[in-house]
Amino acid sequence: MPRVGAEPPVEPHTLTTRFRFSVADYVTALKVSPDGRYCALGNGSGELFLIDAASGRVLWRELAHGHGLLSLSIAPDGLHIASCGQDASAKLWNASGELCAQLPGGHSWVEQVAWSPTGDVLATASARRVRLWTAQGVPLRETDDLPSTVAGLAWHPDGSAVAAAGYGGVYICPVEDRKAIRHLRWKGSLLSVAWSPNAQVLASCSQDCSVHFWRLNTGRDSEMSGYPMKPKALAWDATSTLLATSGHSTVTIWPFRGKGPEGSKPLQLSYHAALCTQLAFHPRTTWLASGGQDSAVVVWDPGRSRIAQQVGYLDDEITALAWQPQTACLLAGDARGGVACWDV
Amino acid sequence: MKKIPVTVLTGFLGSGKTTLLNRILSENHGQRIAVIENEFGEIGIDQALVIDADEEVFEMNNGCICCTVRGDLIRILGNLMKRRDKFDRILVETTGMADPSPVAQTFFVDDDMRDMFSLDGIITLVDAKHVMLHIDDSRECQEQIAFADVLVLNKIDLVRPEDLAQVERRIRSMNRMAKVLHSSHAQVPLSSVLDIGGFDLERAVASKPGFLTPEYPFEWAATFELPAGDVILSLDEGPDASMDLVTIALSADEDATSPALCERALRVWSQPALRCRPGSRIALGLPQPVTLDLASAGSMRYPLHSPSGGRFALYTQHLPTEFQLSLQHQQVRLAPRNSQEFAASHTHAQDVTSVGLHSDAPIDGERLNQWLSKLLREQGAAIFRMKGILNIHGKDKRYVFQGVHMLFDGREDRPWGSEARSSDLVFIGRSLDRVALQQGFEKCHA
Repeated sequence: MPRVGAEPPVEPHTLTTRFRFSVADYVTALKVSPDGRYCALGNGSGELFLIDAASGRVLWRELAHGHGLLSLSIAPDGLHIASCGQDASAKLWNASGELCAQLPGGHSWVEQVAWSPTGDVLATASARRVRLWTAQGVPLRETDDLPSTVAGLAWHPDGSAVAAAGYGGVYICPVEDRKAIRHLRWKGSLLSVAWSPNAQVLASCSQDCSVHFWRLNTGRDSEMSGYPMKPKALAWDATSTLLATSGHSTVTIWPFRGKGPEGSKPLQLSYHAALCTQLAFHPRTTWLASGGQDSAVVVWDPGRSRIAQQVGYLDDEITALAWQPQTACLLAGDARGGVACWDV
Repeated sequence: MKKIPVTVLTGFLGSGKTTLLNRILSENHGQRIAVIENEFGEIGIDQALVIDADEEVFEMNNGCICCTVRGDLIRILGNLMKRRDKFDRILVETTGMADPSPVAQTFFVDDDMRDMFSLDGIITLVDAKHVMLHIDDSRECQEQIAFADVLVLNKIDLVRPEDLAQVERRIRSMNRMAKVLHSSHAQVPLSSVLDIGGFDLERAVASKPGFLTPEYPFEWAATFELPAGDVILSLDEGPDASMDLVTIALSADEDATSPALCERALRVWSQPALRCRPGSRIALGLPQPVTLDLASAGSMRYPLHSPSGGRFALYTQHLPTEFQLSLQHQQVRLAPRNSQEFAASHTHAQDVTSVGLHSDAPIDGERLNQWLSKLLREQGAAIFRMKGILNIHGKDKRYVFQGVHMLFDGREDRPWGSEARSSDLVFIGRSLDRVALQQGFEKCHA
């Protein structure tokens, strides 16, 4: 006999698979073009794949970076793809797979690459240095060596500056050469960085099991600690009011409204059976996707419910996650090279 | 998933790290090795991937020494593990002046590193010719020696045997846990530096009997049944110009290697020594040590005399093998009834030491946990390394552990089976209080 008042367990719906395929090795990067027509994937063997987002057909593949592709970024106009990796270079490709330019990274791995939102500047990070290039790959600006290796890179939403996170804080490097670099100091090791879409807050995951953020207009910073493990995933919603984080199987969402999130209780979303490693908010709605070491991809609607809405599975730890909003689908890659596209 | 072993190579500039690294890489072992280096060395081997990294030491949790890690390793190794064709082994070469703590702690502190890798061993290259120039003043030099699982005394072709013996005694006194290898041009068997296993205290115990027993001023004890009159103590020239000897007359049920007799020998040792030149007759059972002069070339003979013969204990300052020591009667070599080697004692007053604790009594797991937690909380910064094999009361399996500063990694090991159950613990650190450690450990008896 059911107990009075007990909520019946709600099993989430299974996501409908649009297509699946394999890139044969750890998916290190997965991005969807702004028009939603294709997605670009990189793997641990250093290959770059361009995939038709509707059918899953491979448009082209290239061995882009021997030893491993580390990051990729698609230009806002969708005409160029930038990739980087352990061969100490970044590369510029057109959508037909032709190599347009090769950007050197010194002796070290090029670990980060990111197009500015305006599309006219490309940023790369290699060891302690941030380099800015034109859309054609001509050098624009290069920082001196920062105090530590750049672990995360993110553009200001208006494209005027790029933020580089590492040990000792975040460095905000303006595109304009004459402007000085701003240092947001923090005594720990920061692993990633993300601007809120309204450009008012910079958030970072920290090695010492916390999430750190700065309000840029006041310079005031706060630390959200208590994660059981070092947080690996960080995502802002489109309205800049929700910051999703995870350093656990639970997804923790901090509300940025009123005086919050300081002093407020975060929203906790539980479904994953192991550490959540990937988070992505839908670019227009309030939907949130999460991926974990349990191979699960979960779709949430945190504005309305704490219950998992839809679930899909790959075969290994989820290592990349991206929305394709035009036809409402979600793409994910795993540590064995499995890739799935689900209709949401 | 099987954890990937990580070997750390430390040592001062010029001690031979790169030579050893090249040897490991060029050997035909069929393993895929990734090397993390701090500067571009002269390495160019196809089967290995060499990655250049800046040593980035990250302080965590308010700069506590025990929480420093190598941020570059976390990032690089995390990325290397994404490949389909995984590596069989990782080698990390540190800069000459590096403190070994952060690199070792990286594999205990970071969640991902702990899940994917195991610290197989810290190999410290020691320049046998030059190490004595730094050993007293350089904290880095002392810490590199203290942290080692294997100490490779390199460039032995450039030093005299007596100087080498002095260096070896010195480094052994600082780190009694490590295996010591001699080499020139870093020529050591790879099996002695790879797959040594961070937990492997057992090998050290097995290869050096008496390794964890208390320290005595002698390295060898033996029980002999001697005839009346003279027996000849014969020695060749060796690493030292002299050696002390203590002899004690035993009753029939006494034994030179027993703790009680070793304590008696220790008391005799504290008396002023009598100097003797080769050929001079020495009475057995003197209440003072005898300093044998060994400065001459070739074989030296000392007649040892007792009027009525009987059972005697002999204690020598150095190992018999160092001087080809033997005892003869009428050209017949006499075999001891029993003998035991002891670890070299401290030859210098110094900071970094090892303390070995042994117990045959079973240990109460809970009390041990409390004692170690408190000890590491209060003295973790001064304790560099710690290893143990424990006989926990009520458990069928051996408990093995290793620690780096305050960090601790332990697990149940194989069952004791028919093996004699006992516990061994070793601490290596600065200004360790042996008596307090011994007392603390004894309180953990079940």
